[in-house]
Amino acid sequence: MTAPLYIALRFATHRKRALFLSLVGVVFGVGIFICTQAQTQGFAQFFIDSTIGSNGALTLRARFQPRYEGMIVSAKKTGGVTARRNYFEGIANVSEIMRVSRQFSNVIACSPVLRGSISARAGFENTTAELFGIDPPSHLRTTDLAKQIVDGKFDDFRNNTSSVIIGNRLADLLHVGPADAVQLLSPGGEYFRFDVAAITRSGVTAIDAERIYAHARVAQRLLKKPYQASMIIYKLRDPDRAPALASHFEDLFQHSAQSWQDREEGNLQIFTTLRMSVAITVSLIILLAGFGIFNVLTMSVLSKVREIAILRSMGYRRIDITAIFLWQGALIATVGSLLGCALGALMTWVVSHIPIHIRGLLYANYFLVDWDWRHYLWATILAIISVFIASYVPARRAAQLQPVDTLRGSSL
Amino acid sequence: MKGDISLSCRDIERYLGREEERVHALRGVSLNVEAGSLHAVVGPSGCGKSTLLYILGLLDEPDAGSVQIGSTAISHLLDEELARRRNELIGFIFQFHFLMEDFTAQENVMIPMRRLGQMNEDEMRDRAAALLKAVDLGSKLNRQSRHLSGGEQQRVAIARALANDPQVILADEPTGNLDTGNSQRAFELLANIVRERAKALLLVTHNRFIADACDWVHEMKDGRIIASHPHGERISV
Repeated sequence: MTAPLYIALRFATHRKRALFLSLVGVVFGVGIFICTQAQTQGFAQFFIDSTIGSNGALTLRARFQPRYEGMIVSAKKTGGVTARRNYFEGIANVSEIMRVSRQFSNVIACSPVLRGSISARAGFENTTAELFGIDPPSHLRTTDLAKQIVDGKFDDFRNNTSSVIIGNRLADLLHVGPADAVQLLSPGGEYFRFDVAAITRSGVTAIDAERIYAHARVAQRLLKKPYQASMIIYKLRDPDRAPALASHFEDLFQHSAQSWQDREEGNLQIFTTLRMSVAITVSLIILLAGFGIFNVLTMSVLSKVREIAILRSMGYRRIDITAIFLWQGALIATVGSLLGCALGALMTWVVSHIPIHIRGLLYANYFLVDWDWRHYLWATILAIISVFIASYVPARRAAQLQPVDTLRGSSL
Repeated sequence: MKGDISLSCRDIERYLGREEERVHALRGVSLNVEAGSLHAVVGPSGCGKSTLLYILGLLDEPDAGSVQIGSTAISHLLDEELARRRNELIGFIFQFHFLMEDFTAQENVMIPMRRLGQMNEDEMRDRAAALLKAVDLGSKLNRQSRHLSGGEQQRVAIARALANDPQVILADEPTGNLDTGNSQRAFELLANIVRERAKALLLVTHNRFIADACDWVHEMKDGRIIASHPHGERISV
């Protein structure tokens, strides 16, 4: 153990009350930072998992062709011929695109979907809905549909082409459950009767309030579409790389492709803004703790002027004196961060067990939290930086003290 | 003279304060202190005794003149190097002993050794215990210094000054805060150690009896050494 560290430990442990107050600031700052980040990210992560689990990480949609606009251009234009796109509904060569797509290492699975708007009726209730015509085996590999079923059985749907799976909010609206019947209105004005095989809940209200899953061939007949699929959805190994893959797929397949980040940009911005707002608030708490430590260490320097002069007279260098007070800061930062991380984990656990009734953008019965080691790392880094800044000024001041002034004042 | 010169200074000038309040504290002071000898500096308050002591102890820099410890010129070294020399070569004893109150007697003695960094924890503890035993505090190693009497605290300060086996011991009124009996005991202890271990001792004192017991007495007035007397040739202080 170095001499400054030994003396720092002795100084710190002999000012237990000041040490305790400094620690409390850091511990609560770190703990609250972790807990609030876990909450805000918990809701965001739940939304991301739900939307990827229902709609895939990447979606391939309409085919397009470059559109070359007239040869006559304005005299002011210098860019030459402007390339734009003509879009055509439906996916061309679904099987071939899916076969090529599966060659990409980031693609785990993909599934064709025929999507369209219909009217749904049950009893006296009537509403518009979004029909998802799916191939059950491939859709099961690509999405979390099986996990999202809250009532009924997926097998009942798989084995019965005249059955559907309905989102729970839509089922509530239509007052239907498994084994009940629901009528879907085709664009030609003809009603088709289906059995409800299962109720699904993704947790994202926009999906649960509108979606009906049917077999792809049935959906094609119902929607009277000439093509098998209006989109292909993908499950990716690394969803964070979806934008790059989407861009590549557009070039490769000449179909518009959209990553989940682009698709959910609006909602993700809300979560990001919320997280940043909370992070700034809690950082201010840690900063206030830093001011507290600054005061404590400044008082410590003032109360140790005599000891500093003694140490200097015995050959301790200015850098040793600085180190003594920085070590005290490091001690507060280390112990405070460790205890703060433990407190943060405890608070996060407690918060995750608080019952709430969220039925808005998301569906949740408890606070959603995300257990992410990076929250602990960032909280610790923030605490260390804050404590270092708070310690540095008093430490420098201690090192600049002239021992002769103290010794002369005491002995003459 | 008892031996080689351990500490010397030449033509030391020192100004204290700024502008109108500026005081010419030392005016061309020169001094030699030999190993194994006791030197006392006497004079009225404010004559520059402590200022001289701090310059010789490398805690303050002279405005002119030079300081030499052994054969090494110390003047104009960087602060870090001065601190190292102070740690290795000089032991300080102050009037108010200046111990770390929350530290035990043994820990106080170990403070200079920790900075030197040449011994492990056990060796430092053993040496501190031996030094405290030498000043008759062997039974109070683990007592916090604030719980020791004034005389005991000054003996801890003496042991601490000897911690790194320095060439020079500088004492600023080491008995100024003690009663007559304790003053006598502390000084005798210090004198014996200095003579046995061939250290050079320079002490500032107002105590006539202690000054009389030293090998040399240097009389200061208005920043000058106006007279230096060997043992036996005393003037009234």
